[in-house]
Amino acid sequence: MKPTAGGQYRPLTDEGIRKIHDSAMTLLSEIGVEVHSKLAFETFQKHKAVCDPSKNLVKVSRSMVEDAIARAPKKVVLCGREEKHDLYCEGKNVHMGTGGTVLNVIDLETGVKRPTTLKDVRDIARLCDALENVHFMVLPVYPNDLPPEDVDLNRFHSSILNCSKHLMGGIYTLQGTLDIIRMAERIAGSPQALRERPFVSFITCVVSPLKMDDIYGDILYHIAKAGMPVAIPAEPLTGATAPVTIAGLLAGLHAETLSGVVLTQLVNPGTPVLYACTATSTDLRTMGYVSGSVEMGLINAGAAAMAQYLNLPNYTTAGMSDAKVVDAQNGYEKAVTDVLVALSGSNFIHDAAGLVEFASTASYKQYVIDNEIIGMAMRAVRGIEVTDDTIALDAYRRVGPGGNFLADPHTILWMRREHYLPKLSDRQLRINWEKAGSPTVEEKAVAAAKRILKEHKPLGLSGELKDSLRAQFPGIRP
Amino acid sequence: MELLEKISEELQNGNFIDVPKLTQEALVQGISPAVILSDALVAGMDVVGEKFRRDELFMPEVLIAAKAMQAAMTVLRPKLIETGVETAGTIVIGTVQEDLHDIGKNLVGMLFEGAGYQVIDLGVGVASGRFVEAVRTHKPDIVGLSSLLTTTMPRMREVIESLVEAGLRGSVKVMVGGAPVTEKFARDIGADGYSPDAASAVEKARTLKP
Repeated sequence: MKPTAGGQYRPLTDEGIRKIHDSAMTLLSEIGVEVHSKLAFETFQKHKAVCDPSKNLVKVSRSMVEDAIARAPKKVVLCGREEKHDLYCEGKNVHMGTGGTVLNVIDLETGVKRPTTLKDVRDIARLCDALENVHFMVLPVYPNDLPPEDVDLNRFHSSILNCSKHLMGGIYTLQGTLDIIRMAERIAGSPQALRERPFVSFITCVVSPLKMDDIYGDILYHIAKAGMPVAIPAEPLTGATAPVTIAGLLAGLHAETLSGVVLTQLVNPGTPVLYACTATSTDLRTMGYVSGSVEMGLINAGAAAMAQYLNLPNYTTAGMSDAKVVDAQNGYEKAVTDVLVALSGSNFIHDAAGLVEFASTASYKQYVIDNEIIGMAMRAVRGIEVTDDTIALDAYRRVGPGGNFLADPHTILWMRREHYLPKLSDRQLRINWEKAGSPTVEEKAVAAAKRILKEHKPLGLSGELKDSLRAQFPGIRP
Repeated sequence: MELLEKISEELQNGNFIDVPKLTQEALVQGISPAVILSDALVAGMDVVGEKFRRDELFMPEVLIAAKAMQAAMTVLRPKLIETGVETAGTIVIGTVQEDLHDIGKNLVGMLFEGAGYQVIDLGVGVASGRFVEAVRTHKPDIVGLSSLLTTTMPRMREVIESLVEAGLRGSVKVMVGGAPVTEKFARDIGADGYSPDAASAVEKARTLKP
């Protein structure tokens, strides 16, 4: 896939960006980060950060941050198992995909919300493999039917079997993370082959405000050691775990995700790392978390701008909704935040497909609908191409005053690539729409999801390799 | 029959330069005009229509295929008449008086040509008398009236009344169309057929055969 660059929307001025960056440096060097992972703390200590073991506090200087930024790759290629799915995360290239991890799903057959299982991991992966505008898959659901120790490996294994796009996932245990890496090495052919074409990557997190957890700090340490790509999001929430103001939140987010970036580059310089943001707002009428606010779009577009300032590939969030059903709120929240963040030129926009209800619930039909919204947003990112060919003076000459361009060769040459052609939107005359049974977008999305699950054949793995992985990792479920 | 397949294929590609040449070649080879029409041209347009319904082809591609069909028919039509083969028919079309919109009407005309009809296009702002005159001269199977304005819709009724007065109403079917026109309006003014869009006009016309 040829990358599409955004950046037309600039939510911050250059001066604003510098001010937020400087403030974040102040946060890191003056207040510091509470680091509960022993491995992470010792790493900071070893590299002469100002550390106070009695408070688990690490103060990171501006020069440490600058050193880490200098070492971190400016370009991270997150590969698919097929090259057409490779994601060139650099500059203002835009890619959009799914997010997670959620515990419930709206059942495709019954329309009722229920806990997710390993079958959902598999089916959603297959669905996302087929949806052309979903560029990557962040593993979206948790298999509630498995014991915790088997979750990590099975989530990745099942997704690999059903989706050849890049797979990024949250992880729960260190052992699981290490097993995933070993399994991916086997599939890639060798440890080296996996590092050259990493088709899996990980998400750990920093807790807002300014805190690195023990388990995630340890996991981050080990991922960096293994040289695997990792996104380190923080999720500050306006008025709750960050100041209520967007600029204040961005300063904290910037400090938090950079503390993770610094750790990875101390552990293993050159570790492919994504500056990351899952921040959003709260509705202080109730102090409720919200995911579909317009401020959420501003925050994540702002985060992309902050990462671009440092030339760091970035991971952000958009396309979520607080609506429980497929309704107007669902559509406008997703569309507005998708467009804002995509136009900001963010490299890896996750959560943009499949989630409803505060991004707490997956929904099969929603993947199909969001595939459409992403398609429209990406068309906006592509912008208006101006060349002699697109201005088409020759076509005007052929058609002349009062004619039409319908059957002109220029029309036929350009009509498919110039216009995004939605598959779900209804553009029929009322009489034809009524004849077709007056279908809604929701009904069409359900039918499309069912058809894909019935017909789509993913790349998968050879039978031999599958058997051999099962022998090596007995925890893998059939 | 490789040649017929080639004609069908080039027709589907909208190659309006080569399709008439290939049609001529087929005639020279002694293939019967009726077979060329059914097995090459109509067969090709059927594929185009099917792909259009499946959204694989877009309207502009249907139109250039229709243009290729029309070009082939100028070669083929005289031979069909010579051999007494019945062609799809003739349709007179025009936008009614005081209405200058023609893109919809032109589209309908091209699609009828694509279906093998002989199309006589009277243009825009056509007065009732000219429609009557054209029906008398060309003896079409169908006369198609187009209107895009609610203010010019009454002109359609006028044309039908004029045809009745001239004693020609029984010899021709009248179809109406255009954005403001509805099935009910078509019935009310005594038209024989209505289609909501250009794509379904030909289909409708086929059901009106006397």
